[in-house]
Amino acid sequence: MRFTPLLNPSRWRTLQVSSLAVIVALLIVGIVFALSGVNPLTAYWEMLRGTLLDSRGLAEVARRMIPLLLIGAGLTLAFRAQFFNIGAEGQLLFGAMAAGAVALFLPITPLTLPLMFAAGALAGGGLALLAAWLRQRFAVNEILSTLMLNYGAFYLMLYLIGGPWKGKNVRGFMYSDEFAAGAQLPMIPNTLVHYPTLVLAILLAIALQILLTRTTLGFELRVVGENSSAAKYAGLKTSSIVTIMALITGGLAGLAGVGEVAGIHHRLLEPGQISLGYGFTAVIVAWLARGNPGLTLLTAPLMAVILAGGDVLKISLNLPFRIVDVFSGVMLLCLIASEIFITNKLVWSRAVKPTGSGGAS
Amino acid sequence: MDEILNALTRAASFGTPLLLASLGAIVCERSGVVNLGIEGMMALGALAGFAVAYSGSSLWFAVLAAALAGVAAALLHALVTMTFRANQFIAGLALTMLGLGVAGLLGKPYEGFPLSDTALEWPFTLGAGLLAIALYGVFFYTRAGLLLRSVGENPAAADVLGMNVALVRVLATAFGGALAGIAGAFLSLAYRPSWTDGMTVGLGWVAVALVIFTGWHPLKAVLGSLFFGVLYYLQFRLQGSVAVPTEVLAALPYILVIVVLAVIGARGQQGNAPESLGRPYRRGER
Amino acid sequence: MKNVLMLAAVAGLVGVGLHSSAQTSVPKSCFVYVGPVGDIGWTFAHNEARLLTEKAIPGLETKFVESVPEAQAMPTIDKLVGDGCKVVFTTSFGFMDQTLEAAKKYPDVIFAHTSGYKRAPNMATYMADFYQIYYLNGMMAAALSKTGKLGYVGAFPIPELKRHISAFALGARAVNPKATVNVKWINAWFDPVKAREAAESLISEGAEALAFTEDTATVVQTAAKKNIPVFSHYNSMYKFGPDVVVSGQLVHWEKIYIDFMKKVVAGGYNTKSLQNVDYWWLLREKAVELGAQNGMPINPKFMARLKAVSITVAGKKTNVYDRVMALNADMSSAKPTFDPYTGPIMDRNGILRVPAGKVASIGDLNSMGWVAPGVLGEIADEPAK
Repeated sequence: MRFTPLLNPSRWRTLQVSSLAVIVALLIVGIVFALSGVNPLTAYWEMLRGTLLDSRGLAEVARRMIPLLLIGAGLTLAFRAQFFNIGAEGQLLFGAMAAGAVALFLPITPLTLPLMFAAGALAGGGLALLAAWLRQRFAVNEILSTLMLNYGAFYLMLYLIGGPWKGKNVRGFMYSDEFAAGAQLPMIPNTLVHYPTLVLAILLAIALQILLTRTTLGFELRVVGENSSAAKYAGLKTSSIVTIMALITGGLAGLAGVGEVAGIHHRLLEPGQISLGYGFTAVIVAWLARGNPGLTLLTAPLMAVILAGGDVLKISLNLPFRIVDVFSGVMLLCLIASEIFITNKLVWSRAVKPTGSGGAS
Repeated sequence: MDEILNALTRAASFGTPLLLASLGAIVCERSGVVNLGIEGMMALGALAGFAVAYSGSSLWFAVLAAALAGVAAALLHALVTMTFRANQFIAGLALTMLGLGVAGLLGKPYEGFPLSDTALEWPFTLGAGLLAIALYGVFFYTRAGLLLRSVGENPAAADVLGMNVALVRVLATAFGGALAGIAGAFLSLAYRPSWTDGMTVGLGWVAVALVIFTGWHPLKAVLGSLFFGVLYYLQFRLQGSVAVPTEVLAALPYILVIVVLAVIGARGQQGNAPESLGRPYRRGER
Repeated sequence: MKNVLMLAAVAGLVGVGLHSSAQTSVPKSCFVYVGPVGDIGWTFAHNEARLLTEKAIPGLETKFVESVPEAQAMPTIDKLVGDGCKVVFTTSFGFMDQTLEAAKKYPDVIFAHTSGYKRAPNMATYMADFYQIYYLNGMMAAALSKTGKLGYVGAFPIPELKRHISAFALGARAVNPKATVNVKWINAWFDPVKAREAAESLISEGAEALAFTEDTATVVQTAAKKNIPVFSHYNSMYKFGPDVVVSGQLVHWEKIYIDFMKKVVAGGYNTKSLQNVDYWWLLREKAVELGAQNGMPINPKFMARLKAVSITVAGKKTNVYDRVMALNADMSSAKPTFDPYTGPIMDRNGILRVPAGKVASIGDLNSMGWVAPGVLGEIADEPAK
């Protein structure tokens, strides 16, 4: 049995294979449900009912989608530029801290919210830029630097809320004071959906798609991503493209952080409560979108449904919180393992000679 | 003098799981396979080891079970990334989630219990040290090491020379999984003998970073683990003796890893990643 | 009125175990937890209490949700109320504002929030605190050390911990005026690796007994390796170190939950009457207990050593063991005469915090920024005045 490449896999085939992968994942997780003593059909029905078929559930999906979409869209381009940023958690926290600085220490004006977003984008982008600079100047691998900088951001935030930025009205607990009303984002009533960030996220995902497909920079990025030696031959400066992509990916993660604190928390608090693993989940969102920022408009809601669905399982069926990790892990493994079936077909005979090039990888 | 000795003792103890996991990852990555799933494998190993020891079996069996749990996860990684040629980075992330999730679910009945027969730490530490030396020898002075490295550097050439690229990579990945599992067992059997969901607290990610930090070199991994271990201990030892906020001290080990790597990089002395790291190999391609 | 009748029905039926018919009278009660249930710390204790409450109140149906992030309290409460919860307990300080908001949003649901200070007609607050026990532990710790050097592993520098650390130090100095409490922060509620290394560094700096506030048994396990006296925290950790656990603090949240639910069932607590309901339950109410494990206030292995250390109290000679037991009995009685935070108390910088003859108020204790003399180490956010 072997895989033979298909020259022109259709979109229909992509859809078929991906759906099949999702079904396989649901079957596997179904077994986990059954072993946990819950009827899989009940579990899936509860998940569906509690997320997509219920207005409150939909709001929860939307709320989780916001940071996933922002970070995920940025990461698609970073990955294309071969900049493996796994520091979105830290960049999100930097964005949150910058927003907090504006909200807490600058006079509140009508420009406060825009300023918070700008500061957040700069802070998040700056942190990613640091990693890019370390890579270009000192050959420091960005997986290492972004991973380590996550811890740096985490402890910086703890220091601020436990020390200089600790609120006056928090009875000594580790929080900043609440942001003034002018530094809080409006929400869809009775939900936690801060819609300005949602709109911003959608617009940015579309804008990045246009940047990728319709601009010179996007063209260069695609060349660099697909073949860096060809890019060198064509005289493209890989380093400046990486720098720009680092700024974009970090900046979007920073925006996500602004949205979380200005929209949901209205204060700075323990960093783990703000980032909630979005930075890592968004890596999945980006990867599933296969390098297309526009496609994160589909993959971000998918992951958001899994996260929100996990909450439903936790509440309605009292399943342990770890079920969400199992669910995401299985879903992800099935989807990435299925990719080869899109670009290849399975041939059962041994006689087929390996073909030359073609397909994708 | 006592202080230095004590700091080194702590570094050796805390550094043991880091060294074990990073040695495993070095072997795996030297063959060209990236493994970001170490954290999940450690969690599985920690649970498997504890569960077997808790059931009354000998500690040897417990360690073996931990290694096997790691191998099982590693083989899943191999299946997904090699048979199905999925992206290794993403597969590793997925494995981390799955490992933490499965360990959390299966571990529920074992939470909050002590172990009547706990393991000693030093055999793990000594074993990890000896293994580092052995791996150094194997890597650079044996045919097997050459085989492993050539598969990671240039699988096409290795293939032409008649080496079984796939087999080497599967074995290397499984070895990495086994060591990650044992690193987990060190935590749950010796370092802090009990099982709690989340007890690996990100050490797997530190190991991922250490592999890069030490330039995929087994002996430098010993130094890297000790370096990180000393800093990790000092963040507490220095609290109260220096006028620096505790959070800054806590961030120091992570930041210094970057700084040191940058200094080494500025002097052009960094170890290089295996040439084909992270790339699936397919016969006949390119 | 209906509630009262139903309560009578419940009371009548308990004895014969036919409480199914009374089920409708007991409102469904739901618990929002901040951490996972399975650990040995805070959430574990609340969950044990939930189960005991279920047993104690016939017909009570409960539900819980674990590991709820702070941002998610509101959606979680929405869902719980939708599922028919009539009483909701939120068990973390971080849930305070959202619980208050939910209380306004659902005026016919009863809410109770742990460790906060905001209330509403349908929202009460409750807390079981350990500071008295930390004082007693401090006395024993000092008695068991030659040098008076003690160690403490803390999660975060918040008032609750400063209150505990200071009580521990005050108790220690009551036995040995030169005693010190060296504090190491791990900046996490759950991180066994950090807890281990923090404990190791305390030991290397000469600590001869350890206490801690964080959510694992790691410090006890570390002390067991080094054979150093240690005080268990929150739940019994005696089994993790039967030779080293001297005593410790145990919580009984069920005392509060059962009392609360009984009053809800009886109708005394309803959606209009909770504005001033604030439980601050201590030894007297049996919401907390001095013990290495339930029913073992002091590990017998340490009895002789503690009896051998004599102290003078109000001109009378006694020993630490007897003094601890006497104070424990006094504070556990209906009318305690002793409180660790009785003035005059200076902070470690020499500023008078509790004037002579006064006892620190609950409000003071809940917003404590200062720490007592004898406490060593970094203390974030220590007030200068």
